[in-house]
Amino acid sequence: MAGTVIGAGITIEGDVTADEDIVVAGTVRGKLSTKESVTIEHGATVEADVVGGSFAIAGALTGNVNATERVDLQSGARVIGNVKAARVTIADGAQFKGNVDMDV
Amino acid sequence: MPAKVSVIGRATRVHGRVTGGGDLEVDGFVDGEVAVEGDVTVDAHGMVGAGVRGRRVVVRGAVKGDLVGEEAVLLEEGARVVGDVRAPRVAIASGALVRGFVETGDSNGVPAKVARPQVAARVAPPVASAPKPAAAAAPVATVASKPSSAPSGVNNSSANAGPRRPPPPVVPALKKVKGQVAKRKER
Amino acid sequence: MEARIGPSARVRGRVQGEGNLLVEGQIEGELAIRGDLTIAEGAVVTCEAVEAHAVTISGALQGDVSATSAVRIGSGARVRGNIRGTSVSIEDGARYSGRLDCEFELPPELGGESRGDARGRTSARR
Repeated sequence: MAGTVIGAGITIEGDVTADEDIVVAGTVRGKLSTKESVTIEHGATVEADVVGGSFAIAGALTGNVNATERVDLQSGARVIGNVKAARVTIADGAQFKGNVDMDV
Repeated sequence: MPAKVSVIGRATRVHGRVTGGGDLEVDGFVDGEVAVEGDVTVDAHGMVGAGVRGRRVVVRGAVKGDLVGEEAVLLEEGARVVGDVRAPRVAIASGALVRGFVETGDSNGVPAKVARPQVAARVAPPVASAPKPAAAAAPVATVASKPSSAPSGVNNSSANAGPRRPPPPVVPALKKVKGQVAKRKER
Repeated sequence: MEARIGPSARVRGRVQGEGNLLVEGQIEGELAIRGDLTIAEGAVVTCEAVEAHAVTISGALQGDVSATSAVRIGSGARVRGNIRGTSVSIEDGARYSGRLDCEFELPPELGGESRGDARGRTSARR
């Protein structure tokens, strides 16, 4: 699988900038930005403003989300922050606190 | 499902530290310390601008920082390292380039069993003697292992004993072993 | 000079010459040859400075090495000293303590000037 994978035991403190898919199963504190997709898996902890093409979130995210395409909050997701994307879905079982801006 | 091997992809740059458990492969750029409990591989295109610490550290790319392996550090063809290298086992391929102090776990330069006549050291003071229990009572011109190197092969990496300096230019140090009389011999 | 210092021989002083040298015994002092130096298993070389073309070490060496070609440290070797050569290799299992000084540049992202010349150039002390 191409792309960046932050495994469950790994913690990154700092800024992550990428031109490829990112999967976070561990912890990221700082900033995260990619042109491609971001997957925040169940059990992951992201404390960062995140920018990407699309987001699939099943873990914990505290920070603002800025997506060029879509953001999908899946069951188990706990998101505190503002979400800005052309398309947003919030599944049953997802927790969300923040603003949603679909005006792109 | 959580991944066992983490990967900093080729098109990813991290400005910050990467720590934790599990194995890590660096194909991209990390401008900060890497310290994980598992194995670390800095691949051919990978670059790390600070120290790398892991169980086994394999480098095929570029690192500007110290490499510390709990078990081993392997520098393969294509590796370019500016920094110190420390591990119980260190292997450096001929195509790997290093600039720094390298130390394997147990670094006794001269075998204790060799009986050598005492010779006056020409220059420079002897390195501080931390006598290794010599197998035989032979007078050995061993440049004594630094006190922080445990003779039993325990690796140094976890001790992280402060800033290390490269050894002074090596000379056959005059070493008085207990019970031996230091003889001065004509050269 | 194709020379060999046999296993029972002990040399104290300066050893120099044009050809290759195989050391199976002991040398203590200085060693400066133009050819290749081989320190066999069981040999013990204790020199302030060792100069040679290529150096292959399977025994024990204490001293700084300045080589104009490759330096190879075998898995049974025990070496203490700083090493300069066009390339330096250390086999898994070798015991080594000292400074390696290969000439190369890190990539520009890590502060190097250019990727350029990956061949080490040695500044042999001659």
